[in-house]
Amino acid sequence: MSKERKLKTIKNLLLHIFLLIAVLISVFPFYWMLSGSTNSSVDITGGVMRFGRNLKENWSQLQGTANVFLVCWNTIKTTLLYTFLSILICAMAGYGFEKYRSKGKNIVYAMFLLSMMIPFSAQMIPLFKMASRANMLDSHAAIILPTIAMPFLVFFFRQSFQSYPTELIEAARVDGAGEFRIFFHLVMLPMKSTFAAAAIYAFMKQWNNYLWPLIVIQSNEKKTFTLLLSSLASAYYVDYGQLMLAIVLATLPIIIVFLTMQKQFVEGIVGSSK
Amino acid sequence: MKRKLTAAITTAALALTLLSGCGNTSNTPQPSNEPAVQEPASGETSVKDTADSTAQTGNGETKTVTVWAWDDNFNVAVMKEAARVYSETSPEANINVDVVSLSKEDVYVKLQTALAGGGSGLPDIVLLEDYVSGKYLNTFPGAFADLTDKFDYSQFLSFKVDAVSQNGKTYALPFDTGATALYYRLDLIEQAGYTEEDMQDLTWDEFIAIGKDVTEKTGVQMIVEIANNKTTLVRAMMQSCGLWYFDKDGNISIQNNEALAASFDIIMKMKEAGILFEAESTEGRAGALNNGTVASVVNAPWFISSIRQAEDQKGLWRAARIPRISTLDASINASNVGGSSWYVLENSAVKDEAIAFLQGVWEGNTDFYDTIMRNQGAMGSYIPAYDTGVYDEEDEFFGGQKLNGLFAEVLPDVIPVNYGGYVAEANDAITTALANLFEGKTDINGALEQAESQLANQLGR
Amino acid sequence: MKHKKKAGPNYNRYGWAFIAAAFLLYLIFTIYPAVESLALAFQSLEGGKYVFVGLKNFKRMFGDAIFLQSLKNTFLYMIIQVPVMLMLALLLAVMLNSRFLKWKGMFRTSIFLPCVTSLVAYSILFKMMFSLDGIVNQFLMHLGILEQPYQFLQNSVWARAVIIIAMLWRWTGYNVIFYLSALQNIPKETFEAARVDGANAAQTLFRVTIPQLKPIVLLTAIMSTNGTLQLFDETMNITQGGPANSTLTVSHYIYNQSFVYAPNFGYASAISYMVVFLMIILAIIQFSVAGKEG
Repeated sequence: MSKERKLKTIKNLLLHIFLLIAVLISVFPFYWMLSGSTNSSVDITGGVMRFGRNLKENWSQLQGTANVFLVCWNTIKTTLLYTFLSILICAMAGYGFEKYRSKGKNIVYAMFLLSMMIPFSAQMIPLFKMASRANMLDSHAAIILPTIAMPFLVFFFRQSFQSYPTELIEAARVDGAGEFRIFFHLVMLPMKSTFAAAAIYAFMKQWNNYLWPLIVIQSNEKKTFTLLLSSLASAYYVDYGQLMLAIVLATLPIIIVFLTMQKQFVEGIVGSSK
Repeated sequence: MKRKLTAAITTAALALTLLSGCGNTSNTPQPSNEPAVQEPASGETSVKDTADSTAQTGNGETKTVTVWAWDDNFNVAVMKEAARVYSETSPEANINVDVVSLSKEDVYVKLQTALAGGGSGLPDIVLLEDYVSGKYLNTFPGAFADLTDKFDYSQFLSFKVDAVSQNGKTYALPFDTGATALYYRLDLIEQAGYTEEDMQDLTWDEFIAIGKDVTEKTGVQMIVEIANNKTTLVRAMMQSCGLWYFDKDGNISIQNNEALAASFDIIMKMKEAGILFEAESTEGRAGALNNGTVASVVNAPWFISSIRQAEDQKGLWRAARIPRISTLDASINASNVGGSSWYVLENSAVKDEAIAFLQGVWEGNTDFYDTIMRNQGAMGSYIPAYDTGVYDEEDEFFGGQKLNGLFAEVLPDVIPVNYGGYVAEANDAITTALANLFEGKTDINGALEQAESQLANQLGR
Repeated sequence: MKHKKKAGPNYNRYGWAFIAAAFLLYLIFTIYPAVESLALAFQSLEGGKYVFVGLKNFKRMFGDAIFLQSLKNTFLYMIIQVPVMLMLALLLAVMLNSRFLKWKGMFRTSIFLPCVTSLVAYSILFKMMFSLDGIVNQFLMHLGILEQPYQFLQNSVWARAVIIIAMLWRWTGYNVIFYLSALQNIPKETFEAARVDGANAAQTLFRVTIPQLKPIVLLTAIMSTNGTLQLFDETMNITQGGPANSTLTVSHYIYNQSFVYAPNFGYASAISYMVVFLMIILAIIQFSVAGKEG
């Protein structure tokens, strides 16, 4: 018995050590980013890893190049709208495909999956033509609309709804609940961790979305973070201090969302263990 | 903060859940997402309106000229300065110049998509590298305005004008030049027993000999080049002989290009002598220069701002004409790498205003050229501007050397070549060939042969 | 059809209503452009106009040494990186789901974090880490493994390795999210039952956990394969496809054909559909392998 316990302790220790190493590897670049934002360009290319005293300078440089607050607001706005709309629409579609199976829907579903494989660069020019014909160039709507119906999320939700017991839905129907009411009130809530994972996926995808916003956005006032970073990083002379600070600012919001969703994950566990 | 955000998201989610829950019977997507998207869009226009109204100078409507360019500290800053100057000298023109800052790659991506996608969503003025000029003029004929009669091109450097001309027509206003110089650390050269005088009008063989001594005595490698993109040196050496990847008629000229063979040979000699620092990336190159792990670099005027970052090296740097190739008589101590020019889009709604703006500032206003030379280090192509005081100014970072004067002296010597427009393809072919050469997979002739066939295949010839 | 009646007479219609929004958006923004770009694959841009060229673009691919090289590279990434990443992710997910783990939140967040980094940051970082005076060289020299700094990005084998390491760093945690969320959907009772039956950790993993995770493993496998076939950002930013095209991927090549070289959207589109074709074949293989095992 005590031997077994000892073995367990060692195992536990190994578990923690292994994960700690993984954490170190994962987190190190974030430390580097943070310290970089306080250093001068020369120090950064010279491999300095300590915190420096150049933060204020970097900030005034960055402020001089771009309206960081506006860029931040543009990114947050498009990303939140996108995340919300895409998880709503894709969750409904995934639910529809899973719980209302029919031959026609399966064919549509297969089409969804198939199109997941078409590289975006292949669709870009037709999409651009559409956006310009619809007079939507240089609008945030044009950034969001084309990718709201994300095949991958539909797939993900359909897979996840498989684990939701159909009997519960049928029982609710017997009680006279409408189909949409069942979905929004009964099905959505216990699937919190699924929605959190989907939200993280959608949020990240839009936050780091680069090629398409680049194509449709025309003015400085509509720019998002990825476009700003790309233009900062490609100067003849790159000010890495300024760039690092911009990167930190571009990463912070996504980390905040992450931590928030993290809570949802944890709640998901607590909920299911009860 | 965290809790608030969660609360906000949840409330928003709930609100929409309720909304779509009500519309039980008919669930169409349009009503639910349209207002959500429309609202911010109208908010945006109001931001723009206020921006426009500040630029408004008098009666009549203000027209906006949109410019696409890259590099906030260089081209973008220069164009903003031009806009400022124009609003002072020609307030009656009543235009607002909106310079959109993108990365260089992004300018090309956007431009190619918009041109291929039918021509909407284009800017009014765009900055393009001279290297890609031919590509755009060939692929999208009629897309760019013919400016032949709009400027007195005899006032601009002839090799720049050649670069933006095709079939006798000129399509751009020549902007900056890539007048090539050898930037070097005088202190390290002196430690190896040489003087500033020894660095003037060298041949590459002499340069390598000096480099060996420098590396031996100081432990610092003599010259830096980016490993995966070795073409800066190759291009500089090639144009110093008046040769290029393409001949005058635009035919591929790699396999039998004696300047290319010579430049491969020189680079291999540098490598074998152990004086070549192969940086992995632009970051690595900047780091090596600023940390003092390398003693020299060959590049264009805009590269100076990278060197200047190392304040502790102030006064230690000097610039000189680049070395020439001793085995080729045509080779001179002057060359050019890169450089770009301003193009006006033919179908722009404000084409005439855009041209007038370019004429108003970029032709005749030498004060403007002085300003951008002083503030951004941008070396224009307008010849009358080379006589001004700014070219006599001494540069402290370069030990009081008249740096601008050096460029002004080099530029008229640069031999025009036909860039051919497909420089990106050629650079890739050359980079691949050089990498194979470095790994010992082939010899110089083999490498050139391989590059020629790769390029021919890419261009479908 | 009859057994579905209990869901009501409008069963099928409700199903379509749930799908309607996504389907409509999908038709407009995916199917229509995809069809148009398929048409583009049979055309070529000549003198500013598209000209029908038949199968020329497809034929060209087979004689295009760079395309074939990029295809080879892409498969190499896929064969090595995808399985390593998925196994690592599964291992981490199971560990993170352990009952005995302390500071769960901290561990989870830290391991997920890499996937939020912006591309620019991540590529600059990896370039710098593997540079001559970068931390990797310093570390290896400190340990005495290397005597002098090594140029990783200059050697074709190591350059590929750096790309794979970079992808592992960025995307492993991302897959952990999916595994973890799936693990949490497995009822706790299942594990309890296994424990009562005296199953050890390994047995639980292979007999209980993995079978339950099969759909999600399949999902991530397809997603990662897809991601590798569309791999572009990393090679573009870290190695520019070099040295000597040894890290160039198919997607990177498509980008070059569209935007870096003289615009050849027809050829780029043809290559894209070749990728789609390969993806379909791979997905069929993956589905049938998964089907057999189950």
